[in-house]
Parts: sequence; structure tokens; C-alpha cells
Amino acid sequence: MGAELHLVLRYLGGLRRRTHVATVSLISLVSLGLGVMALVVTLALLEGFQSSIRRELVERATHARVEPAHGRRLEGAVQLASVLQEQLPGVEIVQVVRGTCLVSSPGDAVPAAVVGRSDATRVTVDEILAGRLGVSRGDAVEVISPRQRLTPMGPLPVRQRVELADVVLPEPGSESGSVQLPLAQAQRLLWGGPVVEAIELRHPSDPWRLGHQVRIALGERAGEMRVQGLAELHRPLLLALALERVMIFVAVGLILVVAALNLLCNVAMVAAEKRRDLAVLAGLGLTPRAVRRLFLLLGLGIGLVGSVAGAVVGVAVSVALDSTQALPLPRGVFVVASVPFAVQPGAVAVVLVAALVMASLASWLPARLVARREPAEGLRYE
Amino acid sequence: MNERAPLVRVEGLTKGYGSGATRVDVLSELEMEVDEGALVAVVGPSGVGKSTLLHVVGLLDRPEAGSLMLAGREMGRLDGDERARLRNQLIGFVFQHHYLLDELDAVDNVALPLRIAGRAASQARSRGRELLEAVGLEARAHHFPDQLSGGEQQRVAVARALAMKPRLLLADEPTGNLDRGNADQVFQLVRELHLLEGLTSIIVTHNEEMAHRCDRVFRLAPAGQSSGYVS
Repeated sequence: MGAELHLVLRYLGGLRRRTHVATVSLISLVSLGLGVMALVVTLALLEGFQSSIRRELVERATHARVEPAHGRRLEGAVQLASVLQEQLPGVEIVQVVRGTCLVSSPGDAVPAAVVGRSDATRVTVDEILAGRLGVSRGDAVEVISPRQRLTPMGPLPVRQRVELADVVLPEPGSESGSVQLPLAQAQRLLWGGPVVEAIELRHPSDPWRLGHQVRIALGERAGEMRVQGLAELHRPLLLALALERVMIFVAVGLILVVAALNLLCNVAMVAAEKRRDLAVLAGLGLTPRAVRRLFLLLGLGIGLVGSVAGAVVGVAVSVALDSTQALPLPRGVFVVASVPFAVQPGAVAVVLVAALVMASLASWLPARLVARREPAEGLRYE
Repeated sequence: MNERAPLVRVEGLTKGYGSGATRVDVLSELEMEVDEGALVAVVGPSGVGKSTLLHVVGLLDRPEAGSLMLAGREMGRLDGDERARLRNQLIGFVFQHHYLLDELDAVDNVALPLRIAGRAASQARSRGRELLEAVGLEARAHHFPDQLSGGEQQRVAVARALAMKPRLLLADEPTGNLDRGNADQVFQLVRELHLLEGLTSIIVTHNEEMAHRCDRVFRLAPAGQSSGYVS
């Protein structure tokens, strides 16, 4: 190995003497470094956005929901809530009813989601509904239920006039707008009695395992209910995020493939240019196996230096852009103030391994071809 | 009468290039023996196969037919790695062009066979300096090939060929690219080292005068004609 390493170091270190090998190696090295850097920065950007989405999800969405396995009424909801509260201290537990009503203001009427929650003490609408109706805090709206009651004038929809205590941020994934009411008020609108449809739970310190914990807490009763954790409740969104990550990795990873092909060309060019040297080395006793090692070392040397340099620059750029908030985003459109970058050590390691594997493959092919030649061939063609 | 077994024995050696209508037979049923310690010149017209013979004897190429025995050992069945190891341990090469590696200075070029053999860098370089001194180039140890004259380059190549203390020295027109003065110097150096190191040497040359300063002259004839020692 000593002679091969010595030669590779001399080949790569020949830049001062402006040797061709060192020059083409530098080009390959820069290409691979740029590829790795692009991939690291892109993945950091993706992780930055995705982690802000996940953070938003954890901060504002329900972490687990218990619903009846069949039908819409959750029987014994009050007792169930107290059992869960006892078993899962520190978890926020809310009884909920949901439905769709027509919400009207003097200017307009639109269908909207109506949510009744046991922890709500006042009426709020989200920004989407407030925007559509043109209402704000202190205005009154009428909520008209699809449920009807019989009157001397015939069946009429149940309706309530409510005063808006506040306008809040919409729930993650909400598109149609919603109005949130105290539970009893929503029950009267949607059911006409004390019906609960679901129990929603939040555990800010351990949101991702709450669904599992609820199933354990429910014990035998879990079979009668449908328990969904954070991952199940937001499966489409989380799947989309995972898919996006894979697709971006593959798409941007093609840069690495191009860089590896460039490395292959350059190693092949070195093999052709150094044909005489290789024949001489073989004449001096370098074995075919050692010739293969020489080219693998050359490719891996370029790959290692290029990848590590690219990764270091990529991490530095990502950290700098994130900490200085150098790329601001318009407020009100995005949930974050600037383009977020989050470097994940695991992702950087995967990129480095991928780059090194590709560099090895790129040098393996010319290495095999060169090692097969009889030394005299290289001397004869001089 | 020489009782020792020859270091090199070639029997029925056949080698050609190409195939079909473009086939050229270079060596045909060649027989040759070189005794241990001999300095043999191989002469013959251009294209007769002198370099090919040297490449086959030096394990740089494989014959199509016939056998080659080096130091009493049949070479035909050795794989590439074994042949490479034997080239490293047993044979020293000097080519017509110096064929030094541009990226290495003179001492590293000379030390290269030792590095290939797995010797430590310091040991290899120490032997390299010793050999450069032997060829009168100790002051040029850290010069790169492009900083040396043609004669100096060839002397470094001779030093490199002797780095592993080989038993067999093969030189393919070592003075072919040099002016008369440098050619004489290099040939004299090869002769001196041949004696000093107790080598067996085969030198391919076009220079009849140099050939006759060797112990024996082997005249190689075109395929189909008789080749053999003429002195």
C-alpha cells in the first residue's frame, strides 16, 4: 500500500508543478465538493422548512384523538376523560363536537367548520373565516345549524347569534375556516343535547407517543374506540414531507452522479495519460492488484477531500444563513420570518457515504481496465 | 566449460502481433540461453523483435508458445501478481527512454522499486541516495526528471534498475537516445555496475561497437531465419 499511497499523494500534490493529473483531479474534486455542498445545503433547507412545519403541528394541532369505533357519539365521554386524566397526568384533555354550519355576517354567509371544545370559554373565529366574512373581534355573527327544530311555522334551522371574542390563527391544514364555541353552546347547535363526539388530547412534552400512551391507558376499552396519534392524524402531511425529502435527495443527488461521472472521466483520462508510467511501474514490480488499489486510492482520495470539503462548506453556509437570518420571508405568508436551515448530522453522513461510494465506483472501472493490461502494451505504444 | 545452469533459458519462443491477414510473426521458435554473470548484447535489424524478446524475458509480456525459464523456474504458469513480484525481486530494467516518473524527484524514482517491495520510505530513500552516488548524481537527488539532462536521466534510470539488487539486468537500447559522449558514459556505467553487482545482463543495441564490448553477441534474425550467438 505504501508505494500506491506515495504515488497518489505525489500525483495529487503535483499542482504546484502544474501536472495534468493534479489539474484534472482538482477539477473532479471541486465538482464533487460542489455536489456535496449543494446536497447538504438543500437538505438543510428542506429540514429547516419541514421542522418548522412539524413544530407548528406539535404546537397547535391535536396530538391524539379518541373517537367511537362506530357512529359519532362517544358514550361515557365524561367518565372516559376523567379516566384518561387520571392515567395521563400532565396531558391536556378536551371533549369535542364538530360539524359544519352556515356562518353569516351582515355582509356575507359562508359554510364553516364549527368546533365545540370543553376548554373554550368564549367564541373565536380563525383568520380564514374572519377574512371571508369581513368580521373582526367584537362583531356578531349568526351560526345556522343544519339541525332543525319544529316551530309553529314549521321546521326551522337551529341558529345562534354569537359575539366574536377574538380572531385566532387557523388550525394546521384548515382551509375552509372555522368558528370555535364553548362545548355546551356547540352541543346545542349541532346535537340539541350533551353529546360528545371525540376526546382530543395534547401532551407538549411527548406529542409523538401520546397515541400509544392513550391506547395503554384505555386498556380493554381501546378496542371499542378509534385512537389516533399525531402520526395517524396527520398521515397525509407527514407522508408528503417524507416523500418530498426523498424526491429532493434523489433529484439533487443527481448532481453527485454527474460529479462521479466527471471523476470517472478524469480517472480514465489519467489512466490513458499515465499508460507509460503504469507500464513502467508494472515493470518495476507493481502488481495488477496494486495498480487497481492505486486508482481506487486516487478516486477515493479525490472523493474524500472533495466530499469532506463540500460538506464542511455546506454546513457552514447553512449555519451562517440560518443564524444570520440572511434570507427574510414576507410576514403573514410564511410561519417563519426567514428561510430556515437545519443541518442534520445523519443527513450529512448519508451524503458523505453516498459521495464516497460513487467516487469508489467511478474509479473502480478504469482501475479494472488498467490492471488487466500486460505492461508491454503500455511500453509498445510509446 | 561452464557447469552452472543458465539464468535465462528460452525454448521454442514464438510471439507475433495481430491476427488473420494483418498477423505479423516477430519471434518464431527462438532458442536462447544466457549464463549467469554474462553480459550479452542482442543485435539485429529494426523490427526483428529485440524489444519483444526483452519484454518476454523480462515478464512484461507473455509468449504465444514456447517456454521461458528464469533461474531454473518455469514462468509460463505464473499469474500476474507472481510475475510482478518476480520482476521486482529478480529483474532490473533500463529502457531506451528514461521512463522516470515526472512527479518524483531522482531519489524517489530510484527508491520506487523498494517502495513497491514494501520497504520503509526512509530505507528506500537511503538506498536511492547510495545508488545515485554510485552513478555520480548525488548532487541531483532532489531534481525532477525535467530538470536533468538526457544522460543524467538515463543514469538515474540505471540506478533505479539496480535498486533491488536484481540478478538480471535488461536494457533496451539504453543509449539509443543519447549523444555519443553520454552514450559511452552510460554504457561504461552499465558495464561497471554489471561487474560490481555481479549481474547477468542482456543489452539490446544497434551499436555494433558497443555490442562487441560485451561478453557475447546474440544476433536476432527475422522469423523463419536462424538466430544465435555470433561471438
